[in-house]
Amino acid sequence: MKGERVLDTLASWAEEFITIFVEGGNVFVSLVVGIVPTLIVLLTAVNALVAWIGPERVNKFGEWAGREGFAYTPIRYLIWPFLSVFFLTNPMAYTNGQFLPEKYKPAFYDSAVSMVHPPLGIFPHINPGELFVWLGIATGIETLGLRLSDLAVRYILTGFVVIYLRGLVTERLTAIMWARQSTGSAA
Amino acid sequence: MNKFLTRIGKGVGKVVGTLYQAGRETIDQIIKNILPFMAFIAFVIGLILETGFGNWFAEQLTGLADSVIGLLVLSIIIGLPVLSPLLGPGAVIAQVIGVLIGTQIGEGNISPNLALVALWAINPQVGCDFIPVGLALGEAEPETVEVGVPAVLFSRMITGPAAVLIAWVFSAGLYT
Repeated sequence: MKGERVLDTLASWAEEFITIFVEGGNVFVSLVVGIVPTLIVLLTAVNALVAWIGPERVNKFGEWAGREGFAYTPIRYLIWPFLSVFFLTNPMAYTNGQFLPEKYKPAFYDSAVSMVHPPLGIFPHINPGELFVWLGIATGIETLGLRLSDLAVRYILTGFVVIYLRGLVTERLTAIMWARQSTGSAA
Repeated sequence: MNKFLTRIGKGVGKVVGTLYQAGRETIDQIIKNILPFMAFIAFVIGLILETGFGNWFAEQLTGLADSVIGLLVLSIIIGLPVLSPLLGPGAVIAQVIGVLIGTQIGEGNISPNLALVALWAINPQVGCDFIPVGLALGEAEPETVEVGVPAVLFSRMITGPAAVLIAWVFSAGLYT
């Protein structure tokens, strides 16, 4: 009798143990079936588009981004980071900082690296390895049966605002620290 | 006529070649980056759903993730210059917290209205682990890197929480 109870307990443990992986498997199938096919076709189209346009044509824009003055900040911290991330993706996008004067490079990096997640809902090709920053929360929205594009559009729009702000703040902080460091080394 | 046909043939060949190459790159990305992460995430979600961890975590997290104030606090913590470079690599932390919050949204414990705010709250550290390399890729001088690393880290202390507030403004009318 006692042996039977032990076996029963062991069996129920085994059941508990395996349900974790059965459930995980179900989640995996739903991810692969629900997301991967669309993603493959979309990534293929965008990869082809990027290859046709070519980085050479995009680089011409870099000269604009390198110009000084506040009027060029939207180009420097918004359009140029977006184009860089769109065409070169993470992490090669940061090489486009080379077109900018030294004092703007930290702010450009900040803007560009912040650009690798907000567009994921619409352009997943820019950072497929980190898709779940977006997809984790998006999956919850999908489970509720709500329209995902609402969130995707708002994510990229807030992204533009935040990233532009980030560029400006980091440019300012870089200038302050630069001044402090040069006085420090002179003293 | 022959020349014309050759040109068409070459043109079509180029287009097909590019598309084929794009397809090959895509399948590479799927196999190398996307499927492994999906496997990992599927395991995490399975664990959350089937063990008591989900409920326990929901209790801990809903205290923080079910209000704008809580998410603001989360972003302030993640954005600290001491933590942000440690939390950055591979965006693993952001992805796992994102999945956890997403699961809670799906189960109705967290309002979907907070989804956008949460997307920003989990990510003030983006790229903080990569600043010297990223700057080097942009051909920055060593002095620029020396100044740039703290500049970006301190900037995140301001813009991380600011992003949460901006997202909150943009959340007006979202899924309500």
